[in-house]
Amino acid sequence: MATQNTAMDNAALIKEVNEAHKHKKYSVGYHAQTVVAVIVTLIMLFPLYWMIATSFKSAEEVQLVIPTLFPHEFHPENYLNVLQKANFMKYYWNTIVMTAGILLLQVGTGVLAAYGFAVGRFKGRNALFYVVLGALMIPLQVTFIPIYIMCANWNLCDTFLGLILPEAVSAYYIFMLRNTFMSIDQSYIDAGRIDGLSRLGTIWYVLVPMSKATIFTVTLVTFTNGWNAYFWPKIIAKNEVRRVLTVGLAQLKNTFAGQAVSNYHEIMAGAVLAIIPVVILFLIFQKYMMTGYSKAAMK
Amino acid sequence: MKQAAAGAASATQAVKADKKPFFSQRTLSHFIDFLFVLPALILLGVFTYYPIVKLVQISFTDWNLLNDTWKYVGLKNWQWLFAGSGAKYLWNSLKVTFLYSMGEILVTMVGGMLLALLFNRMTRSFGLMRAFVFVPKYVAMSSAAVVFLWILNTDSGVLNYLLQCIGLPAVDWLNQQSTALPSVLMLTGWRVIGYGMMIYLSAMMGISQEYYEAASLDGANGVQKFFRITLPLLSPTTLFLLVTTFLSSMKVFQSVDILTSGGPARSTEVFVYLIYRYAMVDFRMDRAATAAVMFFLILLVITVLTMKVSDRSVTYDS
Amino acid sequence: MKKISRRSFLTATGILTASAALTACSGGGSTGKAGAAASSAPASSAAASEAADPSKYEVTEPITITWWHALESQYDDLVADVVKKFNETQSLITVEAQYIGAYKDINEALVAAHAAGTGLPAIAVANTDYVASYGDSGLFENLDPYIEGTSYDTDDFSAGLLLSSQFEGKQVALPFLHSTQVIYYNKTMADANGWTIPEKIEDFTPFLAEVHKTAGVYGTVVPGWDQWYFETMYLNEGVQIITDDNTCDLGSDTALGVTSMIKDWCDAGDAYFATGTDASAAMRQNFYDQKTFSVMHTSSLYNNYVSKCPDFEVGMAWYPAASTGDKNSEVGGCVLGIPSKNDQATKNAAWQFLQFLCGKEVNMEWAEGTGYLPTRNSVLETDEGKQFLEKKPAFQCIFDNLNLINPRIQNSAWSELATTWKNYMEVIMNQDGDVNSNSEDMVTEIDEILADHA
Repeated sequence: MATQNTAMDNAALIKEVNEAHKHKKYSVGYHAQTVVAVIVTLIMLFPLYWMIATSFKSAEEVQLVIPTLFPHEFHPENYLNVLQKANFMKYYWNTIVMTAGILLLQVGTGVLAAYGFAVGRFKGRNALFYVVLGALMIPLQVTFIPIYIMCANWNLCDTFLGLILPEAVSAYYIFMLRNTFMSIDQSYIDAGRIDGLSRLGTIWYVLVPMSKATIFTVTLVTFTNGWNAYFWPKIIAKNEVRRVLTVGLAQLKNTFAGQAVSNYHEIMAGAVLAIIPVVILFLIFQKYMMTGYSKAAMK
Repeated sequence: MKQAAAGAASATQAVKADKKPFFSQRTLSHFIDFLFVLPALILLGVFTYYPIVKLVQISFTDWNLLNDTWKYVGLKNWQWLFAGSGAKYLWNSLKVTFLYSMGEILVTMVGGMLLALLFNRMTRSFGLMRAFVFVPKYVAMSSAAVVFLWILNTDSGVLNYLLQCIGLPAVDWLNQQSTALPSVLMLTGWRVIGYGMMIYLSAMMGISQEYYEAASLDGANGVQKFFRITLPLLSPTTLFLLVTTFLSSMKVFQSVDILTSGGPARSTEVFVYLIYRYAMVDFRMDRAATAAVMFFLILLVITVLTMKVSDRSVTYDS
Repeated sequence: MKKISRRSFLTATGILTASAALTACSGGGSTGKAGAAASSAPASSAAASEAADPSKYEVTEPITITWWHALESQYDDLVADVVKKFNETQSLITVEAQYIGAYKDINEALVAAHAAGTGLPAIAVANTDYVASYGDSGLFENLDPYIEGTSYDTDDFSAGLLLSSQFEGKQVALPFLHSTQVIYYNKTMADANGWTIPEKIEDFTPFLAEVHKTAGVYGTVVPGWDQWYFETMYLNEGVQIITDDNTCDLGSDTALGVTSMIKDWCDAGDAYFATGTDASAAMRQNFYDQKTFSVMHTSSLYNNYVSKCPDFEVGMAWYPAASTGDKNSEVGGCVLGIPSKNDQATKNAAWQFLQFLCGKEVNMEWAEGTGYLPTRNSVLETDEGKQFLEKKPAFQCIFDNLNLINPRIQNSAWSELATTWKNYMEVIMNQDGDVNSNSEDMVTEIDEILADHA
């Protein structure tokens, strides 16, 4: 698996060399491509830039008829306002705990189930695997009403458990991991058995290390999905006590209502705060995160 | 739950009809293997399958969240959904959802392909630009949505300012029926186009250079090569994108919720938003559940159809 | 009986009346049935039969309770101050104030928590039009035994306000922060052009056209995000919205007349119908930027309007009278109630805090710190009331018309009805919808909703 990441780089290198020959590096088409690519990149980056630029403006500057590309004067206190007055501190904490909970449970149930379905032997294994696959077809957007009622009956409204439990297992995660485990040669597992490894030992010392890359990418996807979740948190955690960042951000307009007509400078500060962790992750693990999805595609 | 599991184990035993003792080493081993998948299965049962049953049940009641009691009302909600006043909203949201899906598929596939061709140079600088194009995928939808709310703002939005700079009239993007859905799609497009690009790009990497060299020898130009080699060889990727994008786009909610709340005049009321509104705004669990069952059936039909069309997308068992 | 006829309220009561005499002769212009009114008027004494036992409502142990409110961050200091004051007055109860969101958000959260039976606040605000649905579903505790048991004096509340926090004669809430519909206008612009807001609706239409023609700006803006802002125009023309036989009469000729009138304003560009995600903010911005001469809005935002418009003077006017001569308005803002699924200890503590929040001592603090009206006669009549007017002279138009502010229509189907109405109004006003056919469809849908709730 790990080789797959570098495979792209190798291919890239070969292609680069080829292309350099083909275009002789100085053709009109070559430069045109560069120019267009740069323009497209700038357009794609603009919303992010605009988010950050606006977040440092004053309320007056935001309202200017002719927008300023760069803030005239910096107002970092917008961030403080959002963190304190709009309670983003609390939302941050809630989001962190929720994401961590979802992550732990999805990875836990996912790895165990993937082992069971890939390596385990029991009657009805394939039939039960279809049960897992079937769940891929039933999103929370269909089932949220009964789940909401169940959670309400179990006193889970506005609690971390309520935020986490319905997302505790991911059919996608099980499916991806099971496929990866199955691609591992049986002889490794047998070798482990001979060495006296228990099932958990096999998972920990053989399967997980051999599918590190997949686990890592899929877990990154799980993390970002958890961090960016909106639909379910909006329904189950209406109270500020357990509100998460995404929902709090969408409501920021009301929080400041009446105070200023347009408080987009503060909303943008909130928007920046909400994406910082994921964007940092992306910068660090760019390669994994960009191939994370394509791997799913290539299966 | 343990009893149930033990029951399953003994059932296994019974089917096998072995002469071994009740808890043979083999059965025990199978049982332990089964325990590994049990947590996931229980959670899926409670939070995925049971709710479907419950949903069907609620669709036959008159349950309003405000009331403590409910009773069965037969097909009243179904009649309302298809023949009553609910019908026009059902068709409207189906239409809106379908249009949205088509838009997202188009952006992902055509836009993704164009960007893949544009960014196919494998240099460091292009790698960086690819990362920039891809990063919106990881930007939380609510952050992205509020930025677009701001960019598309009628009076102070930067997009209208730019339009006016080049002599075009300002557009009331989110508040008129003709532009509201395209505005939502603008946001979607920004987030997914880089994804389409990456998928196509990594698929293109897998195409052997020999095809192109052979074509060059035959005198084919770039356009011919694209249509004769690249596109056909990418068709599995295209199919994959089509299926996954279609299914995920059916579930759109957040962008609509933040940008337009389904408006103006329901012109962006996608299916999930319709269900949400009945359930969490009107508190009509009966109507919401009926619509949700309908939504489930639609997803089911689409999935089965796509499975028929492409075996590839469902070759889960290798 | 799920609904209470609005008209019957109307004949019996004047809201926010400063004197009992005014109460007695108010609402004379309306056409309601006096008989129905008589049965619902002496409501507050209905629960008097229950045995009063003060010890039942005592707070004996330390307790922390939560209060859900809708006061945005600009009122943070005020809320903190009031809560602090309460926490200092006694030692047992600690209050935690929580901002939940707009009234709509609080409603969603409250109904959800009630259905769940957990996560309920000890005390919560509710927009004036939710009183019926909370009373009907039992979400709010009937406060009569508490009032009785602790000998709480409710006579000081304006009679009409007290009435608008009742459901079927039960006091399910108490008046808290109240406002009404008004027209804010650009007084500087009006003076320069010699304009005054017409008293009658038939003069209002040409007036809007004149403003549009002369100044090149909108004459007014009709908020479309909440039907509260336009429903009063229908009611004054004699439309009941929900008739006595539980059907909707928004398809009647009178109702269609009002709808067509508003549509004509919009089509001519003399006014616009504000809808969309940013509708409220955009409307206010248009007013500040002098792109519209006036806006229809709630009196509670007076402080905001004044502070945001340093360049011109902000005037406040009453909605023009309808062709029937009625110029009633409706009470807005919120009441305070105690969710019934709380345990008794919480409810008792909540009752203490509720009394404090609605009490005389903080009544003026609320009225001054927010744009809301004083709710107590003793405040209105006294020097404090006069001082209030001196500070906010524009409120004169409200004080002049206090007895014309009416309770909301109280029907458990109201929220659903209102959503439907708003949606159709948006189609008619902003999406070129036909008045007649859309109204017809709308009435069909609303009748269905009413039947479901009956």
